Amino acid sequence: MALRAALLRHVRIPAQTLNPALTLTGGKWGPPSLRWMSSHDDHLTKSEVTERVLSVVKSFPKVDPSTVTSDVHFQKDLGLDSLDNVEIVMALEEEFKLEIPDKEADKIDSTNLAIEYIYNHPMAGSVCALLR
Amino acid sequence: MSAVSTAAYAARRAAQKEKVRILYRRALKDTLNWAVHRHLFYPDADALRERFETNKHVEDPDTIDRLIENAEASYNKWRHPDPYVVPWAPGGSKFHRNPTPPAGIEIVYDYGKEDNE
Repeated sequence: MALRAALLRHVRIPAQTLNPALTLTGGKWGPPSLRWMSSHDDHLTKSEVTERVLSVVKSFPKVDPSTVTSDVHFQKDLGLDSLDNVEIVMALEEEFKLEIPDKEADKIDSTNLAIEYIYNHPMAGSVCALLR
Repeated sequence: MSAVSTAAYAARRAAQKEKVRILYRRALKDTLNWAVHRHLFYPDADALRERFETNKHVEDPDTIDRLIENAEASYNKWRHPDPYVVPWAPGGSKFHRNPTPPAGIEIVYDYGKEDNE
């Protein structure tokens, strides 16, 4: 017993984290932005937002996919009417898991504006958000 | 005088168009709420679109006002009692869960017990 106490007094195991991904702070993550098990993931990049917005607009039935670029006006350039515009904005909301207030959604009338709005939205969802 | 009345007419029409767009948006969302499967949503959405398209060419502002009123009444009558809300939005299942800590608070995980003994 005395031996054990004497031994324990001299043995010191350095405290270190084995796997940085499993600790609370996380080794490779910066301290301010991310927390373990929180839903705040790193934000979408502009190119990813652009790509996904364009793919949504292209898959709209009344749109000719070859005419869609990142700077088209839904009604002037794509020949849609205002109700189609509403449908596209709703499709974008579903794609990015957003809830856009009615008045703001009403003002989104071009891919350019849609990309700006979604890129600047703090809760715009990434593709694999369901896997987190 | 006529310029004023034309401007007033244009403003009234613009307000009506915005009302119709927002009403269509809400009604479309509500259609999605009522549909239990995605494939049931599409015919319902087409029917809704059809109802809006029937009055597309109405020009008289008073008639349009009456139509909008009727449509809003029927929307309110059939509104879903428990609509889908995006989880983080107010009313959603994750609303205010696990909020970010307020600025200025720091959590120290490395207690440093061994070195201060």
